[in-house]
Amino acid sequence: MPNKSGSLYGLTILSPIIDDEKATPSHDLQIRKYLAGLATDDGSPFALAPGTHLARLVVMDDVIYVGMPACEEHLKSKYLVLESNFDGELDDYLGGLADHVPEQLDSIWGHCVAYPGAGNRQAFIDYMKACQIDTTFYFAAINDKSLPETLRALHTRTAVADFIANHQGMEPARLQAEFVQFVAQLRSEPIPGPGTGGIARDIKTGGRNE
Amino acid sequence: MSKLNATDIQGFVLRGYNLPVGRYLFLHLEDATRARKMIGQLLGQVTTGQRWDGGKPDSTMNIAFTHKGLAALDLPLATLITFPVEFQDGMKERSGILGDTGLNAPERWDDVWRGDRVHMWLGVNAKSPEALEARCAKLLATIQESGGATLLGSQDAAAVVIDGKPTTREHFGYTDGFGNPEYLGVERSSQPGQGKLLADGTWAPLATGELLLGYADEAGELPVAPVPHLLAANGTFMVYRKLHQNLATFRAYLDEQAALYGGGKEKLAAKFIGRWRDGTPLELSPDKPDFPLTQDPKRSTNFTYGADPEGTRCPLGAHVRRVHPRDDFGFHGKLIDRRRITRRGLPYGAFVPEGEPVSDSEDRGVIFMALNASISRQFEFVQQQWIGYGNDAHLGNDKDMLIGNHGGRGRFVVQGDTRPENPPFICSNMPNFVELRGGEYFFLPSITALGMIALSLVDPR
Repeated sequence: MPNKSGSLYGLTILSPIIDDEKATPSHDLQIRKYLAGLATDDGSPFALAPGTHLARLVVMDDVIYVGMPACEEHLKSKYLVLESNFDGELDDYLGGLADHVPEQLDSIWGHCVAYPGAGNRQAFIDYMKACQIDTTFYFAAINDKSLPETLRALHTRTAVADFIANHQGMEPARLQAEFVQFVAQLRSEPIPGPGTGGIARDIKTGGRNE
Repeated sequence: MSKLNATDIQGFVLRGYNLPVGRYLFLHLEDATRARKMIGQLLGQVTTGQRWDGGKPDSTMNIAFTHKGLAALDLPLATLITFPVEFQDGMKERSGILGDTGLNAPERWDDVWRGDRVHMWLGVNAKSPEALEARCAKLLATIQESGGATLLGSQDAAAVVIDGKPTTREHFGYTDGFGNPEYLGVERSSQPGQGKLLADGTWAPLATGELLLGYADEAGELPVAPVPHLLAANGTFMVYRKLHQNLATFRAYLDEQAALYGGGKEKLAAKFIGRWRDGTPLELSPDKPDFPLTQDPKRSTNFTYGADPEGTRCPLGAHVRRVHPRDDFGFHGKLIDRRRITRRGLPYGAFVPEGEPVSDSEDRGVIFMALNASISRQFEFVQQQWIGYGNDAHLGNDKDMLIGNHGGRGRFVVQGDTRPENPPFICSNMPNFVELRGGEYFFLPSITALGMIALSLVDPR
């Protein structure tokens, strides 16, 4: 079953990038520049719009020729690739993006062939779906919980671990009273926003080891 | 694969010498021609991997170089740039990747490691302090006469002596030195639990290329190695780290936490690393130490974690379980076979028995030396992912209890069960029990390669 894993949808979109010899710099370079400056925390467009678990945008230039004995092949166009997994149905998700982050979408997909703009919600949805290809080999680490449920669970895990660490050895009656209070407070707290969680790791990542 | 040529491999690579005292000399090479001549003079004294049929020698000597050292020896640029990037970088440059920040940051290292002056490591091990002094005096005379190098500093190390006998204990009181892997072709008495786990539950030696350059590794590939092949083959890379131990902090923390833990102090100490302090694996004997077990090579390392997925016997974050997860990640241990390292090393500083006054500021710790074919794939992966992070062990951001760079914010979960003597417990606000005081990445060449370097015969073409 393509595109779905549990309650999560796996989306792959390939949008051809405009090939215009007169454009300076070329459209693919303009997308790269914009993406390089895009926020990856709670300011990310995928955090501002609802439903995204993980998303990745890639500019695909061409297939790389690796030398003999491979045959030399080329793509007909450069492509912008969007891979995303999210809660719910595709139309709602794409509509949510158009509603919440139209300017960012236009800044990115404005360099793609036949992009209608996010201002026209239905035209945007139709365009993205026309560019969609099936996600046939799809793995989601957590595929049975929505984004709010996952964020809530992470917040609860951290809070409970802190509570246990701070209350070990406490006299039972007081421990119970504090636990009741803790649970009530935890329930009343808002769900942390996407892109806000996690401890900043003082370690360099993205090397060959990860 | 046939037997390795032990006469071409430095002995330090093939075996732990089990000699009680050692001194590591750090040299700066002054002049390429004189330095090469000096290496030629030292070459005949290098201890090889040849068997000691006539008994142990009084002392041993081995040689290794930093990338800057190889450059100072005027190796051709076409050779120098073929070394793995992490070795060219050196350990200081890799501090971001290794998590050597904060208390472990290079700015806080010993003087000798803060500059880029160390070119050569000369490791001497000996039967007695007298033999060590005699050997070092002789070596230093050779070095001085040659004019090829100056001594920047040295590090003494020695087995902890208890009741007049050298032991394999380290300063925190744990018995060390159980866990070195076996490799194909290396002559050594075989011990279950020390190679790689097979699908039928038995253990086999790891591919030679996990330790030595020039041989196939566990993926059937040759490790990244410099050209020419003859310079690389039978050589390996060494990670040298001076790990200072905050003994007063460790003892105070253990006492403080043990007062809250229902299983008792020694059990908590065992939960920290996964072995009782005498070395008994928790996985085999979760309730009490079993000294005869530690003395039986058929049993002391022969265990897996498959029957303990919740960590109620050996915690998921216990030191030995993190750094050698055995079957923990499934696939019969295949995911860890390319992450094994061989450890050498000795403690340094005075041993203080429990109950006697002790201070963190006293110079005390362990000289950690790891040998591996690929520093980035083996040591650096283990350090970054299994020591400095907890995801593979399903422990979130938790770091290794014992040697993690906690900075006062560390957490360690002791999984437990419903028995009162084995309760679940959380250690929090952990300080650094261990601090990095410096170190470097070294290349330990074969005897042939040392000769090529000495005679300026390294030809990358």
